Amino acid sequence: MVPLQYYLVLSGAVFCIGVFGVLARRNAIVFLMSVELMLNAANLVFVASSAQYGTIAGQTFSLFTMALAAAEVAVGIGIVLVLYRNFEGVDVTIANAMRD
Amino acid sequence: MTGALTLAPWIPVVPFAAFLIALFVGHLAPRTLPRDGGLVGVAATAISLVLSAWAFLTVSGGTTGLETVWNWVPAGAGPFGLTFGVLVDPLSALMVCIVSGVSFLVHVFSLGYMNDEGEPGLARYYAGLGLFTASMLAFALSSTLVEAFVFFELVGFCSWWLIAHWFREPGPASAAKKAFLVTRFGDYFLLVGVVGVLGTFGTAAFAGPNSFPAAARAAIAGTTNANTFGFGAETWVTALCLLVLGGVIGKSAQFPLQTWLPDAMEGPTPVSALIHAATMVAAGVYLVARIYGLFALSPQAMAVVALVGGFTALFAATMGTVKREIKQVLAYSTISQYGYIMLGLGSGGYVAAVFHLLSHATFKALLFLGAGAVIIAMHHDEDMWKMGGLKSRMPVVYWAFLSGALALAGIVPFAGFWSKDAVLYRALTVGLGGQPLVLFAYAMGLVAVFVTGFYTFRMVFLTFHGEPRSEEAASVDGTRANMRYPVAILGVGAAVVGFANVDSLRSYVGSNALYLERWLNGGLPGVSGGTADYYGGLVRSVAGFHAASFDPLVSAGVSLVFALCGVGLAWAWYNVPDPSERTDVLGAAKTLLYNNYYQDEFQTWLAQGVAEPLARGVDVFDGSVIDGVVDGVSSVSLSGSGRIRRIQTGVVTTYAEQLVVGLVVLLVVVLLLGRWF
Repeated sequence: MVPLQYYLVLSGAVFCIGVFGVLARRNAIVFLMSVELMLNAANLVFVASSAQYGTIAGQTFSLFTMALAAAEVAVGIGIVLVLYRNFEGVDVTIANAMRD
Repeated sequence: MTGALTLAPWIPVVPFAAFLIALFVGHLAPRTLPRDGGLVGVAATAISLVLSAWAFLTVSGGTTGLETVWNWVPAGAGPFGLTFGVLVDPLSALMVCIVSGVSFLVHVFSLGYMNDEGEPGLARYYAGLGLFTASMLAFALSSTLVEAFVFFELVGFCSWWLIAHWFREPGPASAAKKAFLVTRFGDYFLLVGVVGVLGTFGTAAFAGPNSFPAAARAAIAGTTNANTFGFGAETWVTALCLLVLGGVIGKSAQFPLQTWLPDAMEGPTPVSALIHAATMVAAGVYLVARIYGLFALSPQAMAVVALVGGFTALFAATMGTVKREIKQVLAYSTISQYGYIMLGLGSGGYVAAVFHLLSHATFKALLFLGAGAVIIAMHHDEDMWKMGGLKSRMPVVYWAFLSGALALAGIVPFAGFWSKDAVLYRALTVGLGGQPLVLFAYAMGLVAVFVTGFYTFRMVFLTFHGEPRSEEAASVDGTRANMRYPVAILGVGAAVVGFANVDSLRSYVGSNALYLERWLNGGLPGVSGGTADYYGGLVRSVAGFHAASFDPLVSAGVSLVFALCGVGLAWAWYNVPDPSERTDVLGAAKTLLYNNYYQDEFQTWLAQGVAEPLARGVDVFDGSVIDGVVDGVSSVSLSGSGRIRRIQTGVVTTYAEQLVVGLVVLLVVVLLLGRWF
């Protein structure tokens, strides 16, 4: 059996890739995908711990997270569409009018 | 309230209706108002006079009444209840008779003084008179201190209104403001006193078993506990009395707040008569008589009242000796006579003081109305040195005025003799009974008798005797009936009112003939307190004022000799065909007296030399220190926020960065604090 530490390192790596995507990329679609990466990094820890300790709580939480991620994508895609209509592009740095 | 006393609340309501009619009809349809509201006022005060007389007769039948008319704050709703009610007892029944009687005569006189002279603004004038009368009647009938305070203030407001009747001229306008502000200054103390009474005893009722004088007596006797704010009960009652006394000193023009009253002569003469005889100035001493059950508990407060009264009596009388205008002399005589009333109250002579209030109301209304008739005849020239010889040209006014002057000077058997002597006798016996302060006040009052006799007859001789000293005086017309009759009625009154209480002859006529004393011994049925005997007992047992035995005839004789000396001096100096200003022998003192001891200048200096620099200093402190701190805080936060707002770029990536940085910082802190490294 693969030790838990390996899963944790993998999960940390995936999470950091997601953070990098959010901070460094300007495309809104990539932005959404990066958020998905972070969520799934968390899922990975839930499932791995669940298997390690033989409890079902982690798997249950991962199901909740997936439902949350689906809802988030629905809202996120909506925002991206509105962004595209208003600014003719999906660059998140263009939309800064809510500053004021 | 039973029987005829159910009509008692209407006594002030009827003049109030006259006020409303004169105000609104006079404004909307002035031509429909008969004699510009004068007849409405005469009718209303006549109705009030009839109702007052009816209440008087009912009270003399042994029926008195105390009824709550309006519950402002119900008693159960808070720490104390505030109620407005009507209290008809011997004192208030007597007072409403004085007020409505004088007011009625003043209204009739005004028809001659104002209407026949074609004065403008008469609807406003009669509206003011109506409200003035209504306020004073309601004040006299008040059943609680809070209610009394409200009407006390209304009386002050009305005097401002009426003194400023000729408000387009600078003199009356500024005199009205002065009267209002000076009396307001005293009223601040009264207001604190009212709040203090409510906070201490939880009630402001004048009469009844739950009244505050009764509660104060119980607190001093130690049978109940009152909230005295950490002071002893005696000390605290004295403090409350002195606070109330502040309002009294302002309204009744006692030293040092008397400066408004001579200036108030700028108003129309009938208004002066009303203010001096029955309403404004009388309100102050009436308030002391009303809550005499509180004052009689405190020997210190009583001594202060007596001293203020005695000093004011002498102080004001000296200023009256050198004035040129007839109304100025009368103004100072009013201050002086109210000093006697205060002296009577302060030495425990409740009956004597009320008696002097009654007789003074009669003769002072008479003197002012008589002076008004003279002023009309002289075409509004008030300088006595331009009069002279009016005796033969206006005989009715002369004889009536002489009756009032004899009463004012205290010559037997006119009203002022009996009442002033009762006051002085009371002060003398209490003073000899071990109260040196009261004895000192008596001495000042006795000297003032001489001065009073002098200035009164200086005025009479200069005005009516000798030869006319100007063309106006030589050609005056007779006085019209609507001015002659009020003066004549009061002239008879001034001669006979004194027989209501011939106190000096007590041992010869028996106490049954002392009608006023018997009258003031009728109280509320079933309630102890409020009678003259009850007050006398308090003065003896609680305040500890014991009267030494002294022959009243000797005391009366001494004051009569003093008065006759004053009259004789005036006779020698001024009852000559061509009098000259003999008071010049006083030299520099005359200048001092003529300028009222420079009190106005002193008070102006207080305002301009002390209060104004102080206010300026406070203003500078406020502008530099307080405003500086506030401005500094605001400019620091403005510039700070201007810098901090730059992190709000509106770009979502920035916020994500801040989130991440925050999370990392938080993680590091938690890990460090948890010693995981």
